[in-house]
Amino acid sequence: MAQPTMDRIDARAKVTGMAKYAADHNLPRMAHGHMVTSTIGSGRIVSMDLSAARAAGGVIEIYTPDHPLTFKGTLPLIAAVFAETRHPLADREIHYHGQIVALVVAETVEQARDAAALIKVTYEARPPKSSFEEAKQNPSEPPETGLPLGKRISKPLDVDIEAALAGSEVRVEQTYDVPARHHNMMEPHAAVAAWQDGKLTIYSGTQGPAAHALELATVLGVQPADVHVVSPYVGGAFGGKAFTWAPALLAAAAARALGRPVKIVTSREQLFTVTGHRAASSQTFGLGAHRDGRLNAIKHHTTSQSIVEDPGYRTTPKYYATPNADIKLMVTSGMNLPTATIMRAPGDETGSFGLESAMDELAVALGMDPIELRVKNHLDSTLAEGKPYSSKHLEECYRVGAERFGWSRRRDRPGAVTDGDWLVGLGMSTAILDSGRALTTVRVTFRPNGTATVACATSDAGTGMWTIMAMTGARALEVPADRIRPALGDSGLPVAGNNDIYGAVGSAATATVTPAILAAAKEAIAKLVEHAATAQGSPLLGAGDVRYERGRLVGAGMSVEFGKLLTLTRTGEVGALGSSAGLDDSHAYASYAAHFCEVRVNRWTGEARLSRFTTVVDAGAILNAKTARNQITGGVLFGLAAAMSEEGRVEGATGRISNANLADYLMPVNADTVEIDVHFLDYPDTRLSPTGARGIGELGTVGAAAAFANAVYNATGKRVRTLPITPDKLLG
Amino acid sequence: MRPYTFAAARSVGEALEQARDGSAYLAGGTTLVDLMKLEVLTPAHVVDITAVPLHGIRADAKGLSIGAMERMADVAGHDLVAGPYPMLAEALRQSASPQIRNMATIGGNLLQRTRCGYFRDPATPCNKREPGSGCPAVDGHNRSHAILGTSDACVATHASDLAVALVALDAQLSLRGPGGERTLPLAGFYRLPGDTPHLENELRPGELVTGVSVPALPWARRSTYVKVRDRQSYEFALCSAAVAVNVTGGVIREARVAAGGVGTRPWRLPAVEQALKGRPMRTETFEAAAAHAVGGARPLSRNAFKAALLRRTIVRALVHLAG
Repeated sequence: MAQPTMDRIDARAKVTGMAKYAADHNLPRMAHGHMVTSTIGSGRIVSMDLSAARAAGGVIEIYTPDHPLTFKGTLPLIAAVFAETRHPLADREIHYHGQIVALVVAETVEQARDAAALIKVTYEARPPKSSFEEAKQNPSEPPETGLPLGKRISKPLDVDIEAALAGSEVRVEQTYDVPARHHNMMEPHAAVAAWQDGKLTIYSGTQGPAAHALELATVLGVQPADVHVVSPYVGGAFGGKAFTWAPALLAAAAARALGRPVKIVTSREQLFTVTGHRAASSQTFGLGAHRDGRLNAIKHHTTSQSIVEDPGYRTTPKYYATPNADIKLMVTSGMNLPTATIMRAPGDETGSFGLESAMDELAVALGMDPIELRVKNHLDSTLAEGKPYSSKHLEECYRVGAERFGWSRRRDRPGAVTDGDWLVGLGMSTAILDSGRALTTVRVTFRPNGTATVACATSDAGTGMWTIMAMTGARALEVPADRIRPALGDSGLPVAGNNDIYGAVGSAATATVTPAILAAAKEAIAKLVEHAATAQGSPLLGAGDVRYERGRLVGAGMSVEFGKLLTLTRTGEVGALGSSAGLDDSHAYASYAAHFCEVRVNRWTGEARLSRFTTVVDAGAILNAKTARNQITGGVLFGLAAAMSEEGRVEGATGRISNANLADYLMPVNADTVEIDVHFLDYPDTRLSPTGARGIGELGTVGAAAAFANAVYNATGKRVRTLPITPDKLLG
Repeated sequence: MRPYTFAAARSVGEALEQARDGSAYLAGGTTLVDLMKLEVLTPAHVVDITAVPLHGIRADAKGLSIGAMERMADVAGHDLVAGPYPMLAEALRQSASPQIRNMATIGGNLLQRTRCGYFRDPATPCNKREPGSGCPAVDGHNRSHAILGTSDACVATHASDLAVALVALDAQLSLRGPGGERTLPLAGFYRLPGDTPHLENELRPGELVTGVSVPALPWARRSTYVKVRDRQSYEFALCSAAVAVNVTGGVIREARVAAGGVGTRPWRLPAVEQALKGRPMRTETFEAAAAHAVGGARPLSRNAFKAALLRRTIVRALVHLAG
């Protein structure tokens, strides 16, 4: 089936620089804030010498723990678990290296930055608890948060997992370590805040404009309706902009205190500490199997900095059938580290690296093909509740992927295939990502100029939502997409409310928004038909058989285009709200992919280079093949980066992140990647949503690191269980 | 960034007149501006030399000469460089990023500062930046640091790829200062850190690099630069090797070998060159010779792998030249 495809409607604005991101906004009388961060990992501020900074040109005000800004509430809902709840500049205590200790506000950004550098802080330092390597030796039970994260999963409830493993014919038990990772989206966290008559307008990049408004309102102590978040363009988010962080809070509070607009742009170095990150983790997997490959037991015990990164809950119950399972999380609480948050495929990326590496090790131990092992343990219904899956074609992903990739050319014996001085290895992995959708509301509005607006308080962080809304609106209203005017990225736009305010998270935005567009379009068409039959000036006034067809109102033997109709009736707009219906919970929902990776490892110096990658994706209906491919390609590279080079390096003795910049924190560059071969199966999942679309965004990320690591093993015979896989780990 | 005064020079003479205590020359700016933003360097006076005509890539019977203001990208792509001296072109092409290579000059490349993270973070001690303050790299995050030529005061690597290849080729550096012109071997220009890691080279106050010359070496056509790094572009070397061989009748008559990413300065390896001389051009020779590379190496807590990596990088370069 040919998949619909369309260029991004926002592409031109973005490549020409016309798209205005948060920091691109400049307001009259706007002042500039620059944050100062701590240079110790634990302790307290003894004194701050502000004299030189105050004397520097252009300085308006300096906020410190002794002269703080006013915050009234704490972050509500799940932001309280997934973001930093301590107010910036709350007191003199230092909890982590890089914590905000002052905000300098000046007339220009240069003046603010220069003055910030003149502030001298005297600390009373304590030895920080910043080494995850040390802290993981002595973890504690996770805190109760009301979320399923951190809850132990046992099957059966009284499972003795060690006995089940001991009783298995073939066993693999290994520990997999994943370092901290930082989002490093292209656009840093930035905010431009302005108050008028007690109401805040804030330009701030966010994944959820309504959630951002509620969080800001709660912390600032104003009504949610008095906060207007504007965020039409977001330069990457990856979970890092799902919740509200200090830069936006400080900009809003400083603008309120000073009575003039304030802009704050976080520096790249500061992003590593004043916003969230993916916590480091250490996972121990025990897999027990029968000699024929059927799993008998899965043990998955993880230690992480926080419950945010819970690979056990996120990953392991979704992958393979087993009669015995024991999944638990321990946390290293009270560490002197920046706050952990969700990051693209939270838990899933980490868990899939561990589980899919362990499955590869089990395949080696069994002498079995890795795909055959996975097919043998295919999960037909959920592990815990036995719920059927809505639409699952994972086995076809394996089959089609193996064919496209040439899996049959793989040799079981490591190092068997060479190309000059390069050892060539093939590896594969499974990717599974829970799919869901939130509730939301969309407004569809017909305009006299012949266009229709499709509006929702969702977000486009580079995902293609602008384009999907235009395409879905065009489909629902049967008009060309260039007559649809999407509106998003604004807290004033429709949203379902309550807990369903999080916008674009969990790879669920398309599945959430598109059904609501269909519902709203239906309502809007009904109103328009009624309008045509009843409005003064309508050529169809009084007609009894009015209907809507491809942008025209038809009846009484004639027809009129909707823009013309509204012009004739002198009507500014006719529109309606529509909401998505609740999810049918008789089934479980997930998206699937099979990843296939080829690497070349230099036999002398150990660099592992990606040379081919194929992924076959079962993610429901593909609404826009082009942006869907972009999402999978970006996701795969995001996941491969964890295998290849990305690593937040924390100095245990100081708590300092020693590579907090883009030269030393190694994100992959074009030279590190190849054209990713993406193939969609395209089975619409109409049980999940009327448009049949499921989650895509994070799916590529899941499992990619394991496919790479498994290929490295196949090339070299070396199993690297600590990411990233750098040359030093493949020497000797 | 600290306030500073600024002047533009149109000639070497004007540049020298402008230079004073605490001044810095600005060429491509890819190192200086970065470090000024970080307040690692805080010159009181900046002299822009981008209009100073120190250009030209020329070759004659004596060898190759390159003006200090030539851009890295232009030198890497020049016929007089890429054909006769592959290791020079390869070292340049594997340096930094295309954007930086389009801006950075040859003179600036040779004077670039170390990528040591402590040097670049004024919130940490660093003997190179602040003499006597200490060296956290000795016990800290030192995976990328040096194993050769280190001292208790400093273990930072020299960052230039180009300098490694130039040192292998016995390049000469031309300088002009208030006292006139002088020329000295590039290898002798760089200092070991010892107790004075803040003194990195023999440059005198106000002195300007005007060019670099490479003596003719016909057999340098058979040369290569192998760079091993954690990602494939825009990254410094974990280890690199510049190698040239003169082979006749399957026997190595002469060899040039220098290493980067492992030394506190571009590291010529005469013992390896000597061990290659007169031996057959084959892998056993390479491995035996490469073993001489790591005599005197002092691995740190996180970079012990560099000794093995250095040997293997040299072998890889030689295998490539044999192929």
